[in-house]
Amino acid sequence: MIDARRLGGWIAVAVVVGPLLVLPLVAVADAWRAPALLPQQFGLRGLEILFDPRSGVPAAVGLSTVVAVLATGVALLVGWPAARWLVTARRLRAAALALLFVPLLVPPYAAGFGLTTWLLRLGASGSLIGLVVGHLFYVLPYVVLVLAAGFSRRVDQLDEAAATLGAGQWTRLRLITMPAMAPALAVAALLGFVISWGQYGTSLAVGGGRLTLPLVLLPFVGPDPQVAAALTLAFLVPPVAALVLMVHFLPASARADDPAAGMGLTTRWLSTPEEQS
Amino acid sequence: MATWRGRGRAGRPWAQHVAAVPAFALLGLLGIGAVAGLLRASLFPEPGMGATLTAWRRVLADDRFHDALLFTLAIALVSTLAALPIAVLVARMLRHRRLAQALFSLPVLLPHLLVGALAVAWLGPGGLADRLLGTLPIQFVRSPTGLGIVLVYLVKEVPFLALLVLAVWDDELDRLEEAAAAAGASPRQRLWHVIVPVLARPLTVGAVAVAAFVIGSFEVPLLVGPSAPSTLAVHALDATRIGGLAGRAEAAAVLLVATVLATLIAAAAMRWPRRD
Repeated sequence: MIDARRLGGWIAVAVVVGPLLVLPLVAVADAWRAPALLPQQFGLRGLEILFDPRSGVPAAVGLSTVVAVLATGVALLVGWPAARWLVTARRLRAAALALLFVPLLVPPYAAGFGLTTWLLRLGASGSLIGLVVGHLFYVLPYVVLVLAAGFSRRVDQLDEAAATLGAGQWTRLRLITMPAMAPALAVAALLGFVISWGQYGTSLAVGGGRLTLPLVLLPFVGPDPQVAAALTLAFLVPPVAALVLMVHFLPASARADDPAAGMGLTTRWLSTPEEQS
Repeated sequence: MATWRGRGRAGRPWAQHVAAVPAFALLGLLGIGAVAGLLRASLFPEPGMGATLTAWRRVLADDRFHDALLFTLAIALVSTLAALPIAVLVARMLRHRRLAQALFSLPVLLPHLLVGALAVAWLGPGGLADRLLGTLPIQFVRSPTGLGIVLVYLVKEVPFLALLVLAVWDDELDRLEEAAAAAGASPRQRLWHVIVPVLARPLTVGAVAVAAFVIGSFEVPLLVGPSAPSTLAVHALDATRIGGLAGRAEAAAVLLVATVLATLIAAAAMRWPRRD
């Protein structure tokens, strides 16, 4: 007998994942005139554009990668102590969480547009720093929340036990905290990278004509399905890699206090803020 | 002076407070900077000239802005309200199924632009769905009703909301539901009196996030939305493309309206569950 709930779950998965599976076929379809179900001619035109420097795609991939790495790196550096504080904070936690949600309320294009007003005055509009700052606004909250979920009671207990035994700050960080936090750190880095990688509105407003991959992709969607599919495949690599690695890392973090690496802890805080202390 | 070395957590509160400041200060600074920048751009359209409300007057008198405002609100409302029950239903189906959960959560990591591009490939004129079914009975892409936009947001946001639900739907809630069933509660009573109260708060937070994003997002409407009415963000983009300095000021005003709208919705929604 078919389990209706199980079947429904797989249908839901098929609806969201299934459409992706046809992308490789579209990417190699040099000719696919409607209403044919299969391409009339196969070729590598779409994929060649990915690697052709004249298309601007390799440069856009490079810029997207550099911006995402820098924004994520800065977010990890400043987000680490903030996340650690957030776990133990009492009085100011609500205010801190509210600050973490500010980027949700300012649309990316609006944030980029507003920040560009100041970046122009500073002579940094269209610069790499401007792009990184714009992306950082959206990357930082996710990184802080995921790291906060990693700073579980177990990490605290281990750290305090080592401190009691006389281990110094750097020794504890190197031998206790970092290894215990490795899964959360990996997930935070991946999530931060993916958030930056997908920024469209911010890059359009702040970039001053510098093209990241999303900006290169959009004009092809519709007019040239083959190139759009090839670019979409390139665009898909980090999110899919992130998902695979998160699934790999999450069982380790699930042994700590929280199974959903950021989502669960945050949701619980937001669900019952008065009980969290 | 408090030091980290050899102290327990209670011995280093100030070090922790100070270390946390850069992240939150950065967020506050960038948030205020973005809003102040929009306000400045809307009030000072020309360098060296004084403040003027011309951009605001033109925006508020523009019928296309009114249409964009209503269209944006309608899209945000329909997308969010439709996503909530679907997310609860799917979360219920995916409980204790790690692989299916992981696969279903993929759209959370996908940029909206990518999901929009997939929608065009599948549902656009001459797209893959057209080829498989002959002709689609409903127009999704470029539909004046915004159906395509809503569909893309559902594919993107239902997994996000389902993840929030799954994060709080623990074994204790299962036991509560079983206890209610044993006491004779019907499935509908269990849903409304046991499950929904537990999920209300995280779902509210998720709904705020979805609605706020939908109000300000423009890559999805650009790809699958109609040319008229446009959404607020697309209206702003059009203003920057065709209106020179005056257009930039109008765009800033429109984007500020979108930001205020998202903030008001968030403020209203976050107050609601606490009254229970």
